[in-house]
Amino acid sequence: MAKATKTKRASVTVRGPHKMPVHLFVNRQDYELHVEPRRTLLDALRKDLGLTGAKKVCDEGTCGACTVIVDGKPVYSCLTLAIECEEKSIETIEALAQDGKLHALQQAFIEEDAYQCGFCTPGQIMSLKALLDENPNPTLDDVKRAVSGNLCRCGAYPKIFRAGLRAAEILRSKKGA
Amino acid sequence: MKKFSGTEPKAQHKGASDGATAVQERETTKLVGQSIPRVDAIDKVLGKTQYPGDLSRPDMVFMKVLLARRPHARIKKIDSSATLATPGVMAVFTASDVPCNEYGLIEPDQPVLCGDVVRYIGDKVALVIAQNEHAAIIGRERLVVDYEDLPAITDPRRALDSSALILHAAKKTNLLAQRRIRKGNIESGFTKADVIVESEYVTPHQEHAYLQPEAGLAYLDEQGRVVIETAAQWSHDDRHQIAHALGLPQDQVRVIYTYGGGAFGGKEDVSIQIVLALAAWKLRKPVKLIWDRDESIIGHHKRHPYIIKAKWGATRDGKLTAIQMDLLSDAGAYASSSREVLNNATAMCTGPYECENVWVDSRAVYTNNPTCGAFRGFGAPQVEFAAEMQMNKLAEALDMDSVELRKKNLWRNGSIQATGAPVPEPVGVIKVLEAAARAAAWPVKKSSSKRLETKKRGFGVACGFKNVGYGFGFDEKCTVTLELHGRSEIEKVVVRAGASDAGQGAHTILTQFVADALDVPLEKIQLVTGDTSEADPVGSCSASRLAFMLGQAVRGAAELAKEKWRTQSERPVKATYRFKPRPTTPLDPETGRGDPAISYCYAAQIAEVEVDTATGQVTVLKLISAHDVGKAVNPQQLIGQIEGGAAQGLGWATVEHFVMKDGFVMTPNFTLYLIPTVLDVPEIMNTVVLEDPDPQGPQGARGVGEMGLIPAAPALVAAVHDATGVWFDQLPLTPERVLKGLQSVP
Ligand code: FES
Ligand code: FES
Repeated sequence: MAKATKTKRASVTVRGPHKMPVHLFVNRQDYELHVEPRRTLLDALRKDLGLTGAKKVCDEGTCGACTVIVDGKPVYSCLTLAIECEEKSIETIEALAQDGKLHALQQAFIEEDAYQCGFCTPGQIMSLKALLDENPNPTLDDVKRAVSGNLCRCGAYPKIFRAGLRAAEILRSKKGA
Repeated sequence: MKKFSGTEPKAQHKGASDGATAVQERETTKLVGQSIPRVDAIDKVLGKTQYPGDLSRPDMVFMKVLLARRPHARIKKIDSSATLATPGVMAVFTASDVPCNEYGLIEPDQPVLCGDVVRYIGDKVALVIAQNEHAAIIGRERLVVDYEDLPAITDPRRALDSSALILHAAKKTNLLAQRRIRKGNIESGFTKADVIVESEYVTPHQEHAYLQPEAGLAYLDEQGRVVIETAAQWSHDDRHQIAHALGLPQDQVRVIYTYGGGAFGGKEDVSIQIVLALAAWKLRKPVKLIWDRDESIIGHHKRHPYIIKAKWGATRDGKLTAIQMDLLSDAGAYASSSREVLNNATAMCTGPYECENVWVDSRAVYTNNPTCGAFRGFGAPQVEFAAEMQMNKLAEALDMDSVELRKKNLWRNGSIQATGAPVPEPVGVIKVLEAAARAAAWPVKKSSSKRLETKKRGFGVACGFKNVGYGFGFDEKCTVTLELHGRSEIEKVVVRAGASDAGQGAHTILTQFVADALDVPLEKIQLVTGDTSEADPVGSCSASRLAFMLGQAVRGAAELAKEKWRTQSERPVKATYRFKPRPTTPLDPETGRGDPAISYCYAAQIAEVEVDTATGQVTVLKLISAHDVGKAVNPQQLIGQIEGGAAQGLGWATVEHFVMKDGFVMTPNFTLYLIPTVLDVPEIMNTVVLEDPDPQGPQGARGVGEMGLIPAAPALVAAVHDATGVWFDQLPLTPERVLKGLQSVP
């Protein structure tokens, strides 16, 4: 993120305050939006695209409930501007299950009962997805670190990290099969 | 008694039983006792669950609430002309727009919108409704309120001073409630004591910090009723309070709950419900509102801070002879449930220990601090922190093992409470303590732990108990209707029970109870829980009560329904049952005598900590919990409840530092108010579950929702003492406080 901001700042003239077009590639689909440059990715997803899976809890980068994956990296979408995401690939919880089949993480969260209220769950799952995409053999520490920026007030932590490890196992066994 | 350990239960799935006998097969088809996945599991992992903030309607408009953000002031004038001139702004509502401008969970002492005086920073002053959220925000900024600041009472110890301003003029005093217990003869109790331990404990505000901030959508339905979609803890009571404030008959108000993103007691009081309903009712348009995090933290009630003076005496051989407690609770600006929390605190401040001589004085006072009310434990965590600290200090003073000392005094069958009533049986607190001690291999030798120069380890133990249901004479009930559809065979069961589920799992266990009571598979069960016009009143989702009450109401309704199914030809069959638990009584105002609790649940915890004496950092390495739950309805969810509660209890004792200054909240966000992260919970959480059936509960179940939190803080502080030799009587144990405490010893 930091890098993208820097190059843009150097090469682009002032944007806004008026709405401007932005092209977003979300969950393998193209969207043309008109947003104010200050629109966060979280608001663009929730309000403009109706994708309400990512949650707004603090809107200032302290809870992780708004986590989505941008170009393979987990980001707090409340700290990311929609216009920063032009040309990038965005993944949200809504596209995790495919062809009516749950992703291994979703399956593992159910098996381990890794939530209570579920409000942090989309963020937890997306943080773990970014980890597992990159590292199919995570240690307990890797898993904990991956969700260390995702608060869970229901305190489902022990189950969340068990679910992370379990999902890795499921994915490995699928690959092996 | 059955027993299982928390690390074990895995989701069990019903499978073909090859060659099992009929009896065994029957056993395995029972769902109560099995870890079935939550009914809402799939939607939650898909991100499809709709929470209040996710709701929308095509023509909705947006509302922002102007909070007072000053602790005590007279409102001289509100000028909304600039707001109304703001493009997009549709309306501004103030006190004079509210038909009956008062509300409150127990007593309506809080204005919906303040007209003359604001009494704390979270008081609501005006509503701005606009075409879009941004215009509402700008419009709110342009409201000009002319205040005259008044002196604020921010120290509860000063609230009853003769010079203190009276917050609620009609009451003529800032004393909101007082209780007392007089049992035996306290003086002779202290005379008989060989050791006396005296301390003052200070417990802080705690913020619920549920991740889902208050939000909702209100509109008028086809029948002209005002509908409020939100998520809180007691839909039927919300409806009652909304109807009262709007001056409408109850049937003109519909409250519909979605799933909630956490509550923990913090959504028991009304927050945004009435103002949303008011705006939709006035404008006849759908109105949406979402609180920002700081609005949530400032705008909803907190856990009561308590100042507790404790003086306990015991004989040389460890028998308690006298318990004297003085409790002072900061209620904040409005009554909320302070009186009820004080009831609990008073009745439970002796801990689950029997003592012949008890003297308790307790008071709740109004201040200009945030209003306090329900929070998981409802007064029990504060007073039991003090009680358990006293037991651990007595053990030290007597040079006795703290588990042994407890066992000499803990309630058992036949014990009498401080209020004079027998403890509801069976009393399982000794068993949970023994189970925790066994699991921890107590007494744990410190020598077995690594001791780095600056890192000191220690172990600590505490017990806890909590009443199930409201008690204290409250007319408690829980109504459920079952509808059986089909002809000769039951094809569908509709369950009408207005039970809120903010993550506790109430809906899942409700289906488990229904499936077993009617012998139908889960797929045939349809829940109607959210809508007050469709579901029966079950009471609040609080007080560790829902599993207990729902289970019994379902049992009653199922018996009636089955009987009708057999004897009547009319279909569908409909049966309604209202469960009332055994009656309780309020405490006598002079003596405190009474029978306060329907039943109790029990727990014991043992914590292992590491204290970094260079930084003051306290790390919890291990937490062992043992709980008597009567019957684990869904073992996997139960463990989640216990571990989650424990995390909140450990947070309250360590990282959760709610800072107030002159009536202002200095920690209105998650940068400043920390809650435990995955790295703050103990590496090892071991939970032992005992099932000693409660004859009053459904299939023996008690309650469990609040228990995980209660012993955590005193167990942790005892472990810190074991590690460092220092007692910390004030929560939370911030690194600064720990360092200061360590410096105080030579
Ligand atoms: S909402 Fe983005 S981090 Fe909290
Ligand atoms: S499941 Fe409720 S916040 Fe994590």
